Amino acid sequence: MSKYFAKRIGMALVTIFLVTCLTFLLMNAVPGSPWLSEKSPSEATLAALNAKYGLDKPVHIQLMKYLGNLLKGDFGVSLKMQKNRAVTSIIAEMFPVSARIGALALTWAVLVGVPLGCLAAFKRGKFTDSVLRVICTLGISMPSFVVASVLLVAFAGGLAVLKIFPTIFDPALGWRSYVLPCFSLGFYPMCYTARQTRSAMLDSLNQEYIKTARAKGLKNVKIIFKHALRNALIPVITYLGPQVAFTLCGGFVVESVFSIPGLGRYFVQSIQNRDYPVIMGTTIFLATFIILMNVVVDLLYKVADPRINLTKGGE
Amino acid sequence: MGEDKKMKRCPVTLQPDIENLLQDLSADDFSSASAEERADFIQERKSVSYWKDAWRRLRKNVVAMVALGVIIFLFLFAFVGPMLIPYGYEQFNKGAENLYPYHYTLEDQQRLDAEVAARTQSETLDVDQLIAQAKAEAEAKGEKFTKKDEAVIKAQAKVAAQTASDTPEADPNVIRQELGIKKHLFGYSVDELRRKAAGESVFPHVFGTDMYGRDIMVRVMYGARVSMAVGICAALLVLVIGATYGAISGYCGGRVDAVMQRFVELIYSVPEMLVVLLIATALKPILTEYVNSGGNSPMKAFVNILGPNLISMFIAFGVLYWVTMSRIIRGQVLQLKQQEYVTAARALGASGGRIIRQHLLPNCIGQIVVTTCLQIPSAIFLESFLSYLGVGVSAPLPSLGSMATDALSGMYTYTYRLIVPSVILSVMILAFNLFGDGLRDALDPKLKK
Amino acid sequence: MSEQNTEKKLLEVKDLRVSFFTPAGEVKAVGGISYDLNYGEVMGVVGESGSGKSQEAYSIMGLLQSPGKVIGGSITFEGQDVLAFSKEEMTSFRGSKVAMIFQNPMTCLNPVYTIGNQLVEALRAHDKTISKADAEKRAMEMMEMVGINNVEKRMKQYPHEFSGGMRQRVMIAMGLICHPQLLIADEPTTALDVTIQAQILELMKEIQKKTKMGIIFITHNLGVVADICDKVSVMYAGKIVEQGPVDDIFYEPAHPYTMGLLRSMPRVDAESYERLIPIEGTPVDMLNPPEGCPFAPRCEKCMKICLKKMPPYVEVGPNHRSACWLRVQEQMNKEEN
Repeated sequence: MSKYFAKRIGMALVTIFLVTCLTFLLMNAVPGSPWLSEKSPSEATLAALNAKYGLDKPVHIQLMKYLGNLLKGDFGVSLKMQKNRAVTSIIAEMFPVSARIGALALTWAVLVGVPLGCLAAFKRGKFTDSVLRVICTLGISMPSFVVASVLLVAFAGGLAVLKIFPTIFDPALGWRSYVLPCFSLGFYPMCYTARQTRSAMLDSLNQEYIKTARAKGLKNVKIIFKHALRNALIPVITYLGPQVAFTLCGGFVVESVFSIPGLGRYFVQSIQNRDYPVIMGTTIFLATFIILMNVVVDLLYKVADPRINLTKGGE
Repeated sequence: MGEDKKMKRCPVTLQPDIENLLQDLSADDFSSASAEERADFIQERKSVSYWKDAWRRLRKNVVAMVALGVIIFLFLFAFVGPMLIPYGYEQFNKGAENLYPYHYTLEDQQRLDAEVAARTQSETLDVDQLIAQAKAEAEAKGEKFTKKDEAVIKAQAKVAAQTASDTPEADPNVIRQELGIKKHLFGYSVDELRRKAAGESVFPHVFGTDMYGRDIMVRVMYGARVSMAVGICAALLVLVIGATYGAISGYCGGRVDAVMQRFVELIYSVPEMLVVLLIATALKPILTEYVNSGGNSPMKAFVNILGPNLISMFIAFGVLYWVTMSRIIRGQVLQLKQQEYVTAARALGASGGRIIRQHLLPNCIGQIVVTTCLQIPSAIFLESFLSYLGVGVSAPLPSLGSMATDALSGMYTYTYRLIVPSVILSVMILAFNLFGDGLRDALDPKLKK
Repeated sequence: MSEQNTEKKLLEVKDLRVSFFTPAGEVKAVGGISYDLNYGEVMGVVGESGSGKSQEAYSIMGLLQSPGKVIGGSITFEGQDVLAFSKEEMTSFRGSKVAMIFQNPMTCLNPVYTIGNQLVEALRAHDKTISKADAEKRAMEMMEMVGINNVEKRMKQYPHEFSGGMRQRVMIAMGLICHPQLLIADEPTTALDVTIQAQILELMKEIQKKTKMGIIFITHNLGVVADICDKVSVMYAGKIVEQGPVDDIFYEPAHPYTMGLLRSMPRVDAESYERLIPIEGTPVDMLNPPEGCPFAPRCEKCMKICLKKMPPYVEVGPNHRSACWLRVQEQMNKEEN
């Protein structure tokens, strides 16, 4: 098992390294220097700027330097949006907001999605199942910006009178300002989880050990909750990894729609403003985060399944 | 006689008509049956081919068939629709800016204007009356009516008049309701209504127009066309790359497979959306620069025709999204490799490529079709996501995603601009998802019986 | 049967019919079978796959899966009508009165719970008053009884840590933990290695001697039947074609299908030149079964009548009957002489 740990983490590190290189090279290949778009500075200023930021050196040397800086925790400085502010400090300020909203969204998605999926599986072929199936398929068919804008229109227009949930994020309002963003962000993962749970549950209910449990004379409730659900949840865990990534990326849109001062919105703005150090820093940071979360989910899965021996060796 | 005795000897018999059964037996019955008679005996069930069976099941699936109908409709909408509409997606229709998807007839508009004018007129008349009244009151009290007082009253009246037009009395919507003016379907500008009245045939703006007077329906059609094209092309791209890679990896096995799978694992752990976003962001300017750099090579012409946006998106798909497909194909190939007919083909000296083409791929075609079909909606999903963020398909070509972004600024007044592309996008993805699900149910041999 | 016998009857199945209502039509998986089983008796049910032998067993347990349904006949267990049980009655009946073990021990145990947990659960499902410690003690006793060593440690292990034979032992222990009157073993040795098969059979024989419970032993292997059973029912296409004491079936088979089965079975005592003779052809399509004897097309002695009518049962020996027109013909000839 520890060998597996090591292998998995090594793999993750390689991936992070490659994503970093890819990010750097892509950003480097983009024509035009970042400060060209506005009023064009003089040759001398340009040369001075290039020299200052090390842009006059060959690509591989720049890459090495960038990697070295990354290891030291130096992600460079913003060139445009908040001039000369360190990318690290931007991330440190904005990521907690994004992470909180993402975590809340994912939590409700799983807490609601799993029971709904079970319900659909028990009622297979019945009316409830059909309704849930349509809702969940619709849920995975609506991009988060559609959900977010529908909510925005509803709560800023028709339901605005109620003044229940603000459409513009304001931390001063406490939990209420989290409701709409978290709902729109979690709707897709919720429906996805429900669908996966349903099929995993049906799969599990078709297994032979369910027949054994029935032959033992167990009550239906016990068969479903003890025998079927536990087995069905194991594959559902594996879908959590991709969902973490999906929720974080969905955050780009949702944060923009609800004006949330998170890393997602900032990232989108930096793309629009071509603030390359910020784009690079944020991409590398988020990619690292997602890859590491995947490793965690993967290990969680191994722990949840007793068939995988945690003590060394195994069979 | 003898029959009765026999009955006693077989007490457990359950055939209710045992007597009849034994009564009319002839000696011939106990002669042995010929081969033909035996052959006739078995009524063979018609064997149904895999595809026929799958098609039968698919046809029975109402949801999937409705979804297929919707897909066909959207297809016609996107590819035939623009030919029927006399507007271009980039055509600015002057005088037809900001049209709602409904209109009022010319007469109704005149009645409304008259009514509004009448009401606001009465408000302005009141100001002089108020001043005269105040003057009289002041004089009666023996106070001096100053210019200042007059100005105050005027200002108050002005504010009152302004708010009056917002209050129910002068609100056009309220007046329309009072006058019984009804909305009529589709948007027409005043100019277009006049031309229509003059007997010209004018095509309506079914979904209204945007702030530049561009017809939203045409733009939505083109957006749907882009989405579908991206979805289908991306799915095919993924299919070709994934199937080839998976088939080779599974077929070769051994060390080749190990190395190839290591690479798949690597790609698998890359956060796709993020990297696609990055690739789309970076490739667009690179490709634009490449196209604009002058010179004429076929490659350049190709890039120019498709546009840098689409190409960068396809590259992103081609680089990252084939892994799932390749895993499925590899699994199937590994399973099929054990089967006798492959061994037989090998023994007959068939080449590796031939075995893959002739024996392996046809057997995993079901899974390939389903995975490809479900790849389409996810590609459309991603395209709209990128376009929404402004790094996907971009101006002048419309995309459902970018239309939704553009609509955000005026979303409370012109909600339909947000709703129309969003609904079409969602319905499109939904239809593809439902159809893909139906296809999976129909083609999955595990659910057979 | 005489009246004294009814008192000893544990299970009585009469004209049981089970159908599967598939989209393609009704499949008559079991087409009217009858038998009875006395206390402590071991009956073998032999037949090829698809002959309805498992479905018949599932209907006793109330485990038929949709779209399968019992559409006729009766099942009487210790004088109670099993088919009339309510859901709750059926639940408490399963496991306590009748236990069942299945073909594939590899997939029949839940992989995420320990063996101990699953054993204790089976016991506590029916004995609500027993304490956890007592239940565990009983579970360990059962495990020792089925020949598992080191039970303390084994109780805490998961199914994947057991070999196939060991798992089948666990399944047997689980089935027997509530002391049922009847054990239905659905091909319990088919998925195991030959040497393990023998061990499991030996174990079942031993336990049967100890507990005196009735066993219905479903198998497609006649050799297994000879070893353990008192009597045998041979099933073909949803019907019992021959039924009788094990020795009669082996030494005086009365149905061509049984003879075919015997000829196709390898024997240790056979002369080296003796060849195994397979039964030609394939089973009938259960979706539209023919009018006459289902075995007729594969039967080498097929007569014209066989293709027209289903033969009645003929008593060919004490408690030994067979459904074959050949036997009817024999009887008629005997009558005439």
